[in-house]
Amino acid sequence: MNEPMAVGLGELKGSRDPEAQLVCYGLGSCIGLALWDLRSRVGAMAHIVLPDSALSRGPVVQPAKWADTALPAALELMAGMGASRTTTVARIAGGARMLNVVGAGSRLDIGARNIEAVREVLRRHDMRLTAEDVAGTWGRTLTLHVGTGRLVVSTAGRGEQEL
Amino acid sequence: MELSDREYSTLQQMVEQGLADASRAISSLTTGQIQLNSPQLTWVQLSAMPRIAGVPDSVVVAVYLGIEGDLDGHLMLLFTEEGACRTVDLLMGQSLGTTPGLDDLALSALAETGNICGSSFLNAISDRTGLRVVPTTPAVVIDMAGAILESVVTDLYMNGDEVLMVETGFNGLVPGHFLLMPNQDSMAKLLAALEALL
Repeated sequence: MNEPMAVGLGELKGSRDPEAQLVCYGLGSCIGLALWDLRSRVGAMAHIVLPDSALSRGPVVQPAKWADTALPAALELMAGMGASRTTTVARIAGGARMLNVVGAGSRLDIGARNIEAVREVLRRHDMRLTAEDVAGTWGRTLTLHVGTGRLVVSTAGRGEQEL
Repeated sequence: MELSDREYSTLQQMVEQGLADASRAISSLTTGQIQLNSPQLTWVQLSAMPRIAGVPDSVVVAVYLGIEGDLDGHLMLLFTEEGACRTVDLLMGQSLGTTPGLDDLALSALAETGNICGSSFLNAISDRTGLRVVPTTPAVVIDMAGAILESVVTDLYMNGDEVLMVETGFNGLVPGHFLLMPNQDSMAKLLAALEALL
């Protein structure tokens, strides 16, 4: 079996190798966006950090960092690998509130804003969101098996489930 | 952000003083068995932060305090589960290995450790710079290291791509990290305050 391909903070990776696994390790407030084309069996994963590229202080150099720019970048990457967006489905995980601190207010609840932003951008692009495991107060590792489209969420102490 | 040698050494000095205070406060509670090592100040790319405590899905015990007042930032103590249990033993004056797991009492002891380290450290910064800085109440989280650090990183990303991280370990019996991460705007304020002292 191939070494899993780690998708780090703000990264986007795609593959058409049926043996490949795309993995977001330790998602907290970030969102792992998994796209998979059931016809061509091309998969992609983005590790989205923040809701809106308008928050960027400089030019957007890493489109996968922001919800609004991550999806178009991922679809483009997949199209280049032979995927068709009409048969591509989206699933998401993450957006937790890890640090529940009294007084820190909303600045640490970026997870909820990320979830909303990703759902909204999917709607705007007419993409089907077929499953999600979001919010809560725990971390998640998200693994996409490119060959089969199987998507697994694992946690520390809360077991794992398929999305 | 670039620091001049002079700024760097002033900052280093202030951080050392703050950690020495924190170290004294925590050792007085544990008969000197927990001490903080001398600090490392490094610029870290935020994208690399989730990996600083090892593989991002390894489970850690984190004590988190936000920094509020004139500066915005984050303080965090990171332990392995074993290290956290040992810390509780030292705080409770028990022999090592007494605490088998982290129950509510143990978690509140860890929160208190964070409180003491954080408050004495931030007091030292306040005293020296005249800036008002206070910690939030602590939160204790046991989960994947990457997921916990990611939440801090996300906040820091709002105004920069890198952070000046002050990192120190707990020596001897308790392996762990103590991290201070001011956001970039606060870093500029802190430097301005230090500059005024020179």
